[in-house]
Amino acid sequence: MAVSVAPEELDRLIHERMRLGIVSALAANDTLAFGDLKEILKTSDGNLSVHARKLEDAGYIKVTKGFEDRRPKTEYRLTTKGRRALEGYLAQMEQILGAAREALERS
Amino acid sequence: MSTPTREDQQQAQETLAYIRQTMESAASFTAVSGWGLVGVGTAGFLAAAASSRLGGVANLRVWIPTATFAIALSMVANAWKARKLDVALWSGSFRKVVWVMAPMLAAGALLTYGLFRAGQTALLPATWLLLYGAGVTAGGTLSVRAIRSMGVVLLLLGAAALFRPIYGAVLLAAGFGAVHVIFGIVLVQRHGG
Repeated sequence: MAVSVAPEELDRLIHERMRLGIVSALAANDTLAFGDLKEILKTSDGNLSVHARKLEDAGYIKVTKGFEDRRPKTEYRLTTKGRRALEGYLAQMEQILGAAREALERS
Repeated sequence: MSTPTREDQQQAQETLAYIRQTMESAASFTAVSGWGLVGVGTAGFLAAAASSRLGGVANLRVWIPTATFAIALSMVANAWKARKLDVALWSGSFRKVVWVMAPMLAAGALLTYGLFRAGQTALLPATWLLLYGAGVTAGGTLSVRAIRSMGVVLLLLGAAALFRPIYGAVLLAAGFGAVHVIFGIVLVQRHGG
C-alpha cells in the first residue's frame, strides 16, 4: 500500500505560502535584506514582517539588524534548523507524488 | 497510511514548482556580477580617454570594440557568479533580463548606424546613455535595487548629454566608466563578487 503524508504531519509553519517563500528564497542565498526579500516575494512590509517573525520565533531564520550608510538594515539568514525543515518538507511533497505515481501504476 | 488524492498530488506539484521558482528568482536576483561591472567601467574609462585622444566625442573605432568586449565580459562575469551561487544562468530572471536588454541594445546599434550616416555623431553619447539607461532600469526591476538606481543615473546622464552635447565625452566617461565602477563596488560589498 502506498504511504502518504497526512495533512496534519506537514510542517504547518512552512506549509503557509509566504513562509515557504521566505525559507525557499533564503535557501538560495546566504543572506537577503528585508527590501530584497520583499521584492522577490512581491509582498508588503507588514506581511513579510509578520511571517518572518514567526519563522524567527521558531528558530528557522536568524535576523540581524544593523545600519548601512546610517540607514537601518535588516538581514535574514536561514538557520540549520530552517534548512532541515525545508528539506523535510520537500521530502514530504516528493513522498506524496511518489505515492500517487505508485497508485497510478497499480491501477 | 493512505493513497493521496488527486487534489493532494496537484497541491504537491504546485508547491514544488513554487519552491523551485522562488529559489531561482532569489538566486538570480543577486547574481549580477559586481566585478563584471567594475571591469566594464574600467573599459569604459579607457575607451572615453582613447576616443578623446583620437578625436571625436564618440569615436566608433574605439567604442564598437569596447561595447563588444563589455558585453562579452558581462556574460563571462555573470556566468561565473551564477556558477558560484549554484544557479542556472539561463533560468527565470536571467532570461527575462536578456529579453529586456536585447531590444534596447539592438535599437542602440541601429540608431548608431543611422546617426553616423547622417553625420549626427554629436547625438551618439545621448543615444547610447539613454537607451542603455532605459534597458538597465527596466532590467533592474528583476534584480537588486542598486541596478535600478544605476539605470536612473544613466538616464539622467543621457538627458544631460542630449541638452549639452558639448559635454558628451565627459558624460560618456561618467556613464560607461564611473557609474559602472561605483555601482559594481556597491554590488561586491552588498551581494558578493
